[in-house]
Amino acid sequence: MSDSSYLHTSETPDAIAKRLMQKAHNRDGLPEIALGVLFLFFAGLEGLQVVFLPGSPAYRASSWGLMLLCLTQPLALPWTITQVRRRFLIDKVGYVALKPVNRKLSATIIGLAFVIGAAAAFAVSRGIEISSPSGWILATTGIFGGAIAAFGGRSPRFAIGGVSMAAAGILLAFSGVSLNMGLTILFGFTGLLSFVSGSIVFLILLRQPTATGEIG
Amino acid sequence: MSTKIQRLAEIDRIIHEPARLMIVALLASVEEADFQYLRQTAGLTQGNLSTHLSKLNEAGYVAIEKTFRGKYPLTMCRLTEHGKKVLDSYRTIIKGAL
Repeated sequence: MSDSSYLHTSETPDAIAKRLMQKAHNRDGLPEIALGVLFLFFAGLEGLQVVFLPGSPAYRASSWGLMLLCLTQPLALPWTITQVRRRFLIDKVGYVALKPVNRKLSATIIGLAFVIGAAAAFAVSRGIEISSPSGWILATTGIFGGAIAAFGGRSPRFAIGGVSMAAAGILLAFSGVSLNMGLTILFGFTGLLSFVSGSIVFLILLRQPTATGEIG
Repeated sequence: MSTKIQRLAEIDRIIHEPARLMIVALLASVEEADFQYLRQTAGLTQGNLSTHLSKLNEAGYVAIEKTFRGKYPLTMCRLTEHGKKVLDSYRTIIKGAL
């Protein structure tokens, strides 16, 4: 591979590093697998709210589960991916110690996740149904989720996943399904797609020969 | 404006080489990284990366330490304080000229 093929004259060294690190981050498929598992969990919990009546123990348990997912995943997901790489994939992807996370940013993410999770759990556990704008919620969830995946992932795989999520959200919005059912299908479909695509990339990586990481 | 362009003459030649700039930029974005990560991320061959790292090490821009993580041998690379200063200066000169 040519070293200079990665360098664009219009890019600063920081932009080059950011782009290359993002590419490296997506190389083993783990972020997609983790996101897929998260979305499938989310879809499962939403599915419980379709099956069980509001106020029932299973319904309440799923509400708390959703809140816990929203609270823990922003930090737990990156941590888990790092640990898996360091423990099982160090010979394939190498070792990197990232700079400490900005504390202010972490606090903001945790705070936002807590507020959203608590509000959602409260609304759902009280059986508050947002009936009329459910189509809009499904469409915007699909479009925003898809846009974040497509632009955040910076790779064709993520772009395809993002477009699929947006399309699914729009289709569900017009289908007239309930909000819970719509979210179950949306996250179930996107989660499965992400999991399968990440798994394929991961298996391809495992089949690649391991290079020795020594300097002469 | 012309003074800023004239400052291009002061640019550090070791860092200005594309592959070395990529290595230094990557190391500036992390605490430390091993040889394998740099090789995979930068897309360089083992020999090429080894040569460039040796030059950066000789110049005092990158510190290299051989260590182990479990049974796996690691060649850890880290940007030194001197390396950070040189990269900052490089950024300033390039931005000024552009």
